[in-house]
Amino acid sequence: MALQEFLDQLDQLVSEAETNFGAAESTDALEEARIEFLGAKNGKLKAVQKLMGTVEKQDKPVAGKTFNETKGRIESAFEVAHARIQGDGSDTERDSQFDPSLPGAGFKIGRVHPITQTIEELKDIMGRLGFSTVDGPEIEDDWHNFVALNIPDDHPARDPLENFYLATAEANSGEKNPVDLLLRSQTSTVQIRVMEKTKPPIRIISLGRVYRPDTADATHYPMFHQIEGLMIDTNVTMADLKSVLRLFATSYLGDDVTIRFRPSFFPFTEPSVEADYYWNGQWIEFGGAGMVDPNVLTAVGYDPEEVTGFAFGLGVERLCMRRHGITDIREFYKNDVRFLAQF
Amino acid sequence: MLVSWNWLKQYVALDMDREELENRLAMSGLNHEGTETVFDDLAIDLEVTSNRPDCLGHIGVAREIAVLYNLPFSIPTPAPQATGPDVNAGFGLTIESPELCPRYTGRIIRGVTIGESPAWMQEQLRTVFAPVNKDWKPVNNVVDITNYVLMECGQPLHAFDLAKLQGQQIIVRAAHDGEEFEAIDHHTYKLTPDMCVIADANRPVAIAGVMGGADSEVSDSTVDVLIESAAFSSMATRATSRALNLHSPASYRFERALDPEGIEWAANRACELILEHCGGTLDEGWLDAGATTWSPEPVVMRLSQVERILGISIDREEVKRILLALGNTETASDDASLTVTPPTWRRDLAREADLLEEIARIYGYEKIPEDVGVPMAASFKSDWDRVAAKLRTTMTAIGFDESLTASVVPNEWTQVYSPWSEKAPLRTASPMLKGADALRTSLVPSLLEVRRINQSLANPNVELFETAKVYLPQDEGLPQEQWTLGITSGQGFSHLKGVIETVLQALKIDGQLEVDSTSQDLLHADYSASLKLNGEHFGFLGEVNTAGLKSFSLRNPATVAEIRMDLLVQHATLIPQHSQLSNFPATTRDLNIVLAETVRWDALAATVRNAVDASLLEDITYQETYRDPERDGADVKRVLFTVKLRRTDQTMTSEEADAVRGQIVAAIEAELGGKLLG
Repeated sequence: MALQEFLDQLDQLVSEAETNFGAAESTDALEEARIEFLGAKNGKLKAVQKLMGTVEKQDKPVAGKTFNETKGRIESAFEVAHARIQGDGSDTERDSQFDPSLPGAGFKIGRVHPITQTIEELKDIMGRLGFSTVDGPEIEDDWHNFVALNIPDDHPARDPLENFYLATAEANSGEKNPVDLLLRSQTSTVQIRVMEKTKPPIRIISLGRVYRPDTADATHYPMFHQIEGLMIDTNVTMADLKSVLRLFATSYLGDDVTIRFRPSFFPFTEPSVEADYYWNGQWIEFGGAGMVDPNVLTAVGYDPEEVTGFAFGLGVERLCMRRHGITDIREFYKNDVRFLAQF
Repeated sequence: MLVSWNWLKQYVALDMDREELENRLAMSGLNHEGTETVFDDLAIDLEVTSNRPDCLGHIGVAREIAVLYNLPFSIPTPAPQATGPDVNAGFGLTIESPELCPRYTGRIIRGVTIGESPAWMQEQLRTVFAPVNKDWKPVNNVVDITNYVLMECGQPLHAFDLAKLQGQQIIVRAAHDGEEFEAIDHHTYKLTPDMCVIADANRPVAIAGVMGGADSEVSDSTVDVLIESAAFSSMATRATSRALNLHSPASYRFERALDPEGIEWAANRACELILEHCGGTLDEGWLDAGATTWSPEPVVMRLSQVERILGISIDREEVKRILLALGNTETASDDASLTVTPPTWRRDLAREADLLEEIARIYGYEKIPEDVGVPMAASFKSDWDRVAAKLRTTMTAIGFDESLTASVVPNEWTQVYSPWSEKAPLRTASPMLKGADALRTSLVPSLLEVRRINQSLANPNVELFETAKVYLPQDEGLPQEQWTLGITSGQGFSHLKGVIETVLQALKIDGQLEVDSTSQDLLHADYSASLKLNGEHFGFLGEVNTAGLKSFSLRNPATVAEIRMDLLVQHATLIPQHSQLSNFPATTRDLNIVLAETVRWDALAATVRNAVDASLLEDITYQETYRDPERDGADVKRVLFTVKLRRTDQTMTSEEADAVRGQIVAAIEAELGGKLLG
């Protein structure tokens, strides 16, 4: 018998059996149908099975496999019909060997990296406060990483030892790239790019990888993640900054917190502050913040007499470590799957 | 910056509670790091930001306290009596490198008696030096006085033994290349021409602003001293200090913008103290070269700006009090503004915004409310964010963990595998991590390294993905930063291909995923492919070959894939549309086709699709491939697959289904030379 003919018969048998089992309205009728298709001696399935002997030898594997599938499908169609007719009372047979405490047939699921989880939560909270997420390049030029951010030529922040400048094409020369490209040291660069292209009002967060030459230890890594917020409008004040940070911290911590400002110094904000939040009886460092420096507003073509704004920045790793009790920042980048499975 | 409690009391009354003072200093800009008892004094550790070098001396800190508590504040007015000959008569001074040293002054005191400095001075110095240097000891009266004045006003001084200076002159110049110099710490430093030295007629006697020389320092045998008080380039000082890894209290201060008027005050103060405690006579006049290149300009402070920026209103009188107490002088005013000239020790005050910060921090940030009504605004989630979120959900649902690996990798890795770019990778001027200075052009090597780390921990099931940028160099300008999805699995090609297909399904991308062969050194020659999505280059996929596994010290098989995320975003259906579903059952037909090995599944499936009315063909499912060379001959295979057929208007009959199968078989025979088996 040709394989195709055999396969067609199996197909036909399945639909026939399904139809008949489905039509049975009583136990007797179902039993009758069962014998017709699954009967051990003269059932139709048995009859088709016998035909398998006539299939060409080389087709037997396919024929056998398909036959077994067919048998399974007919049997399950019967089970379904049987359960339907018997209703709930049918499972009267006991199984004394069944151990319900055996583990279930599990599924392996993966985990989102804790840094990504933290970033997503922060984005989510800031989204509810009206801040949209923007992305920008990690390799930056002098203008976006320094000049436009009011970091003058002689500022220590521009020191080659404080930044990852790119080497020239002749890698062995060790000289700085003539156009002074570097791995961004802060995500404020993205804010500059947005302001250059967009008129106020602005309400954005920029986030991603930033790079500073710290020796890797338990609390430092030369690459880390930052989230920075920026709000520019005609009447944004430091009270708005404090209020937004309080809402942010309250959302993140799930309970009402209070915010404290301590003076600080950042070239791109004036006044500049360190923001702390009060939580569990102590002040905890939140991040740096301040009112956008008029020089920054001017650099991107805004008029500091018309608009004001605030900016703030947080280190994602630090928040994540505190939240999850992680004591070594290097764990984040080792990617031990047992570590990842903890989150 | 450590300050002595007893020392501060010389300038301002400290009747307040100490802890309250520490807190108020912290809240106004001098972060309190700790307080330590040193004998009967207290050493208070304050963090001074780089814009406030005026607080790197006790006077500056005392002034802050006086402003905060509205207290009287007084500092000495040194006026040493010069009774000796004209200092310029017998001694020369030249600045050869004004860019490194804008101003240099010196005073000479002859006939001093070297001995111990007074006890009160030793005690105060001990309070500020001993906590950070357990071996600290007073040196002698002259050196202690220069250190005392340094810690008093923040202007570093240096005392030379005049007898050791050759040729009766000081030359401030760039160091000669390779010039060697033994400093007071008795280490010898090799200098470079970007460093500034103080030299006599023959050799350097100090590294400017950093450290003096061993053989010109004041010793017990010193009789005449030259007191140096100067201004040095902050950039050059910082660079020198870094290059030599030589840091001193002087270099720390010169790296910042010091008070240009502090030069004379400090020199006078030191001379006065030396005359008082070491004797001797001061030469008339100054050695003085160069000039102060900066002086403060008046700044207009508009009172309306207080509320505009800070969000609170502050009385005019209070604004004025704060500004004047900080040392600003009022030069003009009207109803709407105050015009003040900032003091020379506050170079950071040059604009209205700077004054505003002064007002805010002294008035108190705690007075700014934290519950104002910020207007609501709509925020927007980008398509990219939506796609990335779905991608993570899908990848974790099918068992992959997300990893994050460093962007900068060892250069060898970029040689091993760089399918996106043939250009040499960008390099950082200094390595980010040990041996890692190449901006990665692929995520794959990083993921293989993660496999190796997990292998070393005997972790089974290392199934990982990462979404990150690769940095593809361009001929000019910024590189192309390509968001890339990298995947690695311990399972084979088809498993990982299935992962990519699942991602496409999850994002409802129904475009055509095509494969082409690819030649990558890292990957198996056959079990690898480059991918196209809707005709555009999409990525790579393959099993790592034996040599590749070996190069990452991997013992077990590994498969890797990398695809462009921008195409995922471009083709994702983020707002899927409903289409009416047929209410009639589907019919399936299995087909077992014998055809040449060279015919790929994609060609077979395309032929099937083209052969049938698209509205009838719901699905084609590949089942299996068998080979039977004895019966079919060489280079021939049998491919078993199932087609699922359905009509929208009625149940498809068996005859109709057979007819469709017939069309399929005919097309396969005509186009691919395949035959239905049986």
